[in-house]
Parts: sequence; structure tokens; C-alpha cells
Amino acid sequence: MKLSRRAMIRDGMLVVSAGMVMPAIFSRGVASAKALTLDGARSSFAASDHTLIVIQMAGGNDGLNTVVPYADPTYRKMRPTIGIAENQVIRLDNRVGLHPNLAPLKSFWDQGHMAVVEGVGYPNQSLSHFQAMDIWQTLDLNGNGSEGWLGKLVAGLVDKDGHPFQAMDIGVQTAQALSSISTPVPTLTSSQTYRLYPDPVENDGGNARMQALMKLYNTYPKSSPYAALLDTTSLGAQEGSRQLRQAETAYQSAATYPQGPFAAGLKVLAEAIVQGLGLRVGYVTLGGFDTHANQQATHATLMKTLADGLSAFYTDLTKHNKADNVVVMTWSEFGRRVEENGSLGTDHGTAAPMFVLGNAVNKGIYGEPPVLNSLDKNGNLKYTVDFRSVYATMLDRWMGASSKDVLGGSFDTQKFLA
Amino acid sequence: MEIHEQPTEQWEPEKVIPAALPQQNAVQPAGEANIPQHKSLSRRALFAGVLGVGAVASGVAFEQWTSHGGSTYLGAPATTAKVGHLLRRAGFGAQKDELTAYAALGYEGAVDRLINYQQVADDDAENRLKALKLDLTRVPDQQRWWLLRMAWTQRPLLEKMTLFWHGVLTSSYRKTGGKEAILMNVQNEFLRNHAFDTYDNILLGITSDPAMLYYLDLTKSTKKSPNENYAREMMELFTLGVGHYTQQDVYEAAAALTGWHVRGRAALNPVAAYNPRDHSGREITFLGQKGAFDYKDIVRILANNPATPWFISRRLFTFFAYENPSNDDLKPLVDTYVKSNHNMGEVMKTLLLLPQFSSAKAYRGRVKSPSEFIAGAYRALNITSDGKELPGQAVVMGQTLLDPPNVAGWPGDKISALWINSGTWMARLNYINLLLNGGRSGGSVYKPVDLQSMVNTNHIDTPEHFVDHFASYLLDGNLEADRKAQLVDYFKAQDSGPDKGKITLTNGQSYSLAKVRGTVYLMMASPEYQLN
Repeated sequence: MKLSRRAMIRDGMLVVSAGMVMPAIFSRGVASAKALTLDGARSSFAASDHTLIVIQMAGGNDGLNTVVPYADPTYRKMRPTIGIAENQVIRLDNRVGLHPNLAPLKSFWDQGHMAVVEGVGYPNQSLSHFQAMDIWQTLDLNGNGSEGWLGKLVAGLVDKDGHPFQAMDIGVQTAQALSSISTPVPTLTSSQTYRLYPDPVENDGGNARMQALMKLYNTYPKSSPYAALLDTTSLGAQEGSRQLRQAETAYQSAATYPQGPFAAGLKVLAEAIVQGLGLRVGYVTLGGFDTHANQQATHATLMKTLADGLSAFYTDLTKHNKADNVVVMTWSEFGRRVEENGSLGTDHGTAAPMFVLGNAVNKGIYGEPPVLNSLDKNGNLKYTVDFRSVYATMLDRWMGASSKDVLGGSFDTQKFLA
Repeated sequence: MEIHEQPTEQWEPEKVIPAALPQQNAVQPAGEANIPQHKSLSRRALFAGVLGVGAVASGVAFEQWTSHGGSTYLGAPATTAKVGHLLRRAGFGAQKDELTAYAALGYEGAVDRLINYQQVADDDAENRLKALKLDLTRVPDQQRWWLLRMAWTQRPLLEKMTLFWHGVLTSSYRKTGGKEAILMNVQNEFLRNHAFDTYDNILLGITSDPAMLYYLDLTKSTKKSPNENYAREMMELFTLGVGHYTQQDVYEAAAALTGWHVRGRAALNPVAAYNPRDHSGREITFLGQKGAFDYKDIVRILANNPATPWFISRRLFTFFAYENPSNDDLKPLVDTYVKSNHNMGEVMKTLLLLPQFSSAKAYRGRVKSPSEFIAGAYRALNITSDGKELPGQAVVMGQTLLDPPNVAGWPGDKISALWINSGTWMARLNYINLLLNGGRSGGSVYKPVDLQSMVNTNHIDTPEHFVDHFASYLLDGNLEADRKAQLVDYFKAQDSGPDKGKITLTNGQSYSLAKVRGTVYLMMASPEYQLN
């Protein structure tokens, strides 16, 4: 009798041939599956097939030139040279509009698939990139957190199929938002390079060497520093690369993705979604938003990269009939100073808008727009929406998770998701 | 009992000594009394004097280290392990003869040699680099030049310190622009030339460094409109840390720092120039002090701020020893900083001689960074390729030199676990695979490592001896018995299928090339080797 791994885990049994190293992830999967059967109540993280794609805009995106309050005279006054001209803005309503290079996002809007949440931030901004990134990702307002909010989610989600692709991070470094003590997240730049190469003189394609290696990992003293990290990473890498290689063979993208790592990353996520790898959380970072000087060209390029990439991603998913199950959320550690500086740029700011995209989204502009002529003592916007309420909405209304468990407190939810 | 207090040096090396080179003014080593004080010597004398010592060191297992929580430190081989640890942390690991030679100096002698790098000739590395005729106005060549330098240098601590500074006082070629990428090399040389200078000088130099002027926009800052980017990051990331300054201090420092600009943009040789007429000159209040300050005052005030030695010592300790050091751990570094007038060489020396540096907590207590991994493996295996592929390897492992993810440098420098994830783990193993098996990659041809000649040269006569030999310098000889047995079993295993090569040990026995090479792969792919 030959059981698929999926079936083995569903049935709570695992057949291991003699001498084979038992991957810890299997045993955990078995344990989890059992726990789920025995204790049906413990599913505050009910599994569903909804996927959340998180886009981090690293460096502090200039929110005011992204979602432009074009009708506000204070905006013109504060941004005499780098402000987006009114006739360039892609209007969403009578008050705000998009950066011209976000034109592809306007079609999301027109189809009713885009929400903007304005004024998102948190109290007592230090204006440090790194403290702000820590806070957004770990939820510790002192900036001393270590486990990421998505990491908690991923570690807590019970996937009865035991997929290692519960979450996937595009890049060479796992985002802090995805960090968890127990569950390293597959982190990769492309599916082609996500594999181990054998030695050409091996007659078995590297199997024996891999077995021996996994034994070295499995028998590495568990009490040693990094033992758990190395063990779970090596197992996840093996299983993940096998799955992704299969997916790679079967997947045909149904859209033309732009050049560059951002879109390439989204394509890998689309591949995982289309091929049913059980992806629940996908994460891509687009960097370069720290525009202290000569920001116009840089910011315009980034806006284009963002919008064109997301547009291709969405088209791909739609053509594969998978778009209904996917919601995209963007965030940045802070917005930028309302008043432009003397270097044709903007300095560190506070509140900023977030985008939420997807078929499940209720189109609209949410939150309270911050007032441009009532600033804090540093000349920055006063935030109006706590970022955790956006997370809470995503967790409760999309991921089927308990926001209270993840966020460690109750936050109002927004209505951009039903 | 701390490791450093253990009896060491079962064998005393022959007094290999010294062509009398001037002893530096260095801080006297604390602790162990039986260490000869004058250890400087030429590289040739160093290696000539200690041939054969390695045979003593290899073959002795180090189970005690881990199984007794590090409380036991063996005799001579323990010195080798301690020095092996030193060379991995204060350098990029070692080939077998290097490890043997440094171990012969005793721990403190080895520290002296690393710190007093001027006394060690590095012509060989310089000549090899020159022979490559690299174009240092191009970023990939700069990265390749630096990685090869790490692999080849006889001044490993200098190179490691340069890497440390690059992670702290960082800049990226992406902002200096393609035409002015040479500026990254200028910055790199500045950090190397001043790696052990006073922190005041280092801060003065980096403030007026052309690449930095671009990177944090000081070149855009004018008397009329001071740009606050550099002022903030200088306090947050170079000196004080968040919480020790206010936004008002950022405004004020930004004004005081005006005056520096890069001149000759897009020319072949852009330079930093100070224009007093574009310096604000207004009186400011900065961190409680009042005056018409300029950049020199800002540097002086920051270098003398009591938060600074704690900040920079924490960065240094974390990078070189272990993460989350206590205040007690840092106090000696802070004291040295103050006593030595902010001399970073003295601070570094204090760190290397601290018991904590060699403690069980430090040992394999950090994940190797990609640079450590790449240069370390290249060095240990004595790879002789042109190194063209190395920059690309660094990218997929997560450390693109001269292009840090942001102004805070690489997060892995602070939390080394962040270097490892499934993707970077596979990239590490694939790199080892490439080095060992050879192949064509990125326009470079890698020849397979010549294991047969290594066997012959080192008179390796049994599978056990083979494992011991490589473990002695790849893993400090610190490989538990059951793990060694796994490797020996693999080495001896029969290969199925057609014969694709053999390695013959000096006892005449032949073994499958796939298995022999696989054994080295397993050692370098092992958990132990991922750690530093």
C-alpha cells in the first residue's frame, strides 16, 4: 500500500522506512492533526483557503504622494515642487486621487476591488525606520518584540495537510513579520534556485548524501544553539523545494510579469497559489522608499513597480480562477513629512495610507483622513487609525483567525472586508 | 571555571621566534601568565617553525566541549580549538597550517598577531589581487576583490573589522550611482585604513566620505535647507541609539553638519569638499550644549557622549562574540574606550582577551554570515579560481556587499539567526557543492578540489584519519564521536552504479570519489559548519 504523504498525515500515521530520518515537520504535522481531531475546539485558527499577500514598502513610503489629497490647498502649499499636479492625479473621489503611475490600481478600484485605509499609524512615533518596522511587524510598541504577527499566525495555523508552504517569503531574508520561534518560513528569490544540487559523480542523484546530511541535522544535539532552527530549516527546504519543483513544472503564468525582483516574487507566489501548495501568507518587500532627496523620479519608479507587479499578479490569478481567494495588503513603516524639504525630498513622517486589494474587498476609502494643517510638533500628521485595527480586520474577517490571540488585545475592525 | 582559566598548552612550541619586530604599544594581555609576550614574527618563520604540529591536534575529539557544557577545555587541542574560534571570529577561518601556526603562538600571541597586523606582510594577497586586473570602478569587481581579499589576506582581523564597520557605518552603491561606484571602494579603503583608529577619527572620516555624503544625503544639505537624514542616522545608528536624542537634536545637528558636498559629480574622481560658506554657522543647542557648532563639534560631542561607548561596544561585542551581551560583558570595552581616548583597536583587543569572547556561550554561538561562509570555505579549501562567481554567491546567501538592505546594515550582524532560512541554507550548500565538485558558473570555471593530492600531502591513510584531518581545521577538531562515526561510515560506503572515480589513501585502499568528496561536503554542510 502506498500512501501519499498528505493521506498519511490526515490519518495521523506516518510510515517510516528503516534507517530513514524522520523529518520533524512530519511528526509535528501528525501531532497537530491528532490534536485537531481530539480537540476540535482548539481552532481559533480555523483553516480556510484564503490567502493574504503582504507587500512591505520599505523605507517609509510618501503616503501623500501615493494617495494624493489633491483638493487640499495645504498640500499645494507644503509641496510646491514635489507635489503631484492636480491634472496628473488619478481621481478616486473629489478629495483624493492616486499617483499617476498607480494607474493599474485604478482598474481594481473601478471593478470594486480596492480599499484605501487612510491615516494609519500608532502613537509616539520615534521617526526611526527600525523602531517603526519593529512595531509594525512585532506589535510591541516599544520596538522590543521578536516574534512577528504573521509568524504567530503561521505557527498557530493548523494545516491538516502539513504543507510547508503555509507561508512564503520572497527575498533572501525572512521578514520580521513572519518570524516565529517554531516555524521558519520558506524564504526564496525564485523557484529555479530553490533546490540543492547534487555532485555529478553521485550515481543516485544525491539521495544517499542527502540522507546522511539529514541524519547529521537530526542528530545534532538539540540543546545546542540554533539546533532547532537548523533542523527545521533543512527539513522545510527539502520538502519545500520538492513541492515547488513540481509546481514549477505544472504552472504556466497567464500574465506577462514586468522585469525585476518584485514582480518575479509575486510570480512565485502566484505559482504557489495556482498549484495549490496551501499558501496562506505570502510576503514580498519592495524597498527604496526613503526619499530624502530628489524623490520624484525614485518614487515614480517605485509606484510603477508596485502597480504593474500587482496588476500582473492579479491578472494571473484571475485567469487561473484563484483571485477570489486572495487579498493583498500594503504597508510601510511610516509616511513622510508633510512639508517637502530643501533637497526635493521628504523626511521621516508618521501616518500613511494602506491599500487592500482583492475581489473580496469592499471598495472604498476607510479611516479618517489626517488633517494637513493640524500637525504634531515635528510637522507630521496625527494618525487616525491604529494599524492593529487593519490587522484585526484581516485576521478576523479574512484569515479566519482570532485577532485577539494574535494581537494580544481587541481592536475595532474596519468594513473593507465583509 | 571559565574556559580561559583552564590549563592550556600541553605542548610548548619550539621557541619559534622572532625576528625582532617592534612590539606595539598594545594593551598587555590580561590573565594567563605563561604566554610569551613577544610573538611577532614573519609569516615564513611562523609556518616553518611549527610543521607537523597539526598531527598532534588532529585526531583528538572534543566531545567534552559540548557534553560538559563547555566547562572542560582539553589540553593542546583545546588551544587549537580556542584559536580556531578566534580565527573564525576575528577572521575568516583558517587552513590547517595557519591554524597550527597561530595555535603555536598561544591564544594571546595569536591575538597580538591579529591586532598588530602591520607586522604581518600581506604582499602575497596583494599580488594575487593585482594579478586579476579587476576594474574597481565596477561594483561586481569591488565585491569580488573584497571577498577574495577576505579569503587570501594574512591580516584577517583587519579585514573582519572592515566588514564590521561596513555593517555599521554603511552605504550602498545604489545611491552613489553607477558612474560613481568607485566611491564605494574609496569608502571601503577608508574603513580599512582606519579600522583601529579612534572613533572620533572614524566618525570624522565617514561624515566626509563621498559615498556617505550621497547615501545619507548630506551632500544635498544646505545652509538654507539642512537635510536631516545623516544627522538622525548618525545618532540613531552610529553613536547613541534611539532614545538618547530628540527630534530637536536632529534638526539642530542637521544645521551644524551643513557644509559638506561631493564635488566633481560624474567625473572620474569625485571628492568631498567642505564649503564654509554653505555651513549654517547659527548657534544651536545640541544634546544640552550650546554653540555655533560645525561637523567637528558634532563628532566631538557624540564621541564623548556617555551613550556612545555602550552603543558601539554593544555592536562590536554582538558581531564578534555573542548576542545580547550584559552590561557586565560590555563594561570592560566601555572602560577601554574611555581610557584609550576612544581607540577602537584597544577596545577590540580588550574584547578578544575577554573570557566571554572565548566562552562556551560564544563558541558556535553565532550563525556564520555569508561573507564568513564564502571567504571561509574558499580559504579553508585553498580554492584557486578567479572568484568571479563569489559576488553572486553572496547575493543568494543574503549579503550583497556594498549594498546593505538599509542604513542599519545587515540585521544578521545583530541577530545572526536571521542569516539562515531555507533559501539561504540551500545557497550555502550549493556553494560548497560548487567548490568541491567544480563546474562552470557565472563565467568562471571551478576545478574540482584535488582531494587526491590533499590525501597524499597529508599522508592520510585511513577513513578516520581523513575525517580527522578535515575536521581539525574546518570544525576546530571539535566533532563528537558519534558524528565522526557517521562521516566515516559515509566515507566507506559502497557506491552503486558505474565507477566515476576513486580516491586512494596512502594505505593503498581506494574509495569512491563520490563518497570521499561527499564526506567533505557533509562536514561543510553540517550544522556545526553553519555556525561560527
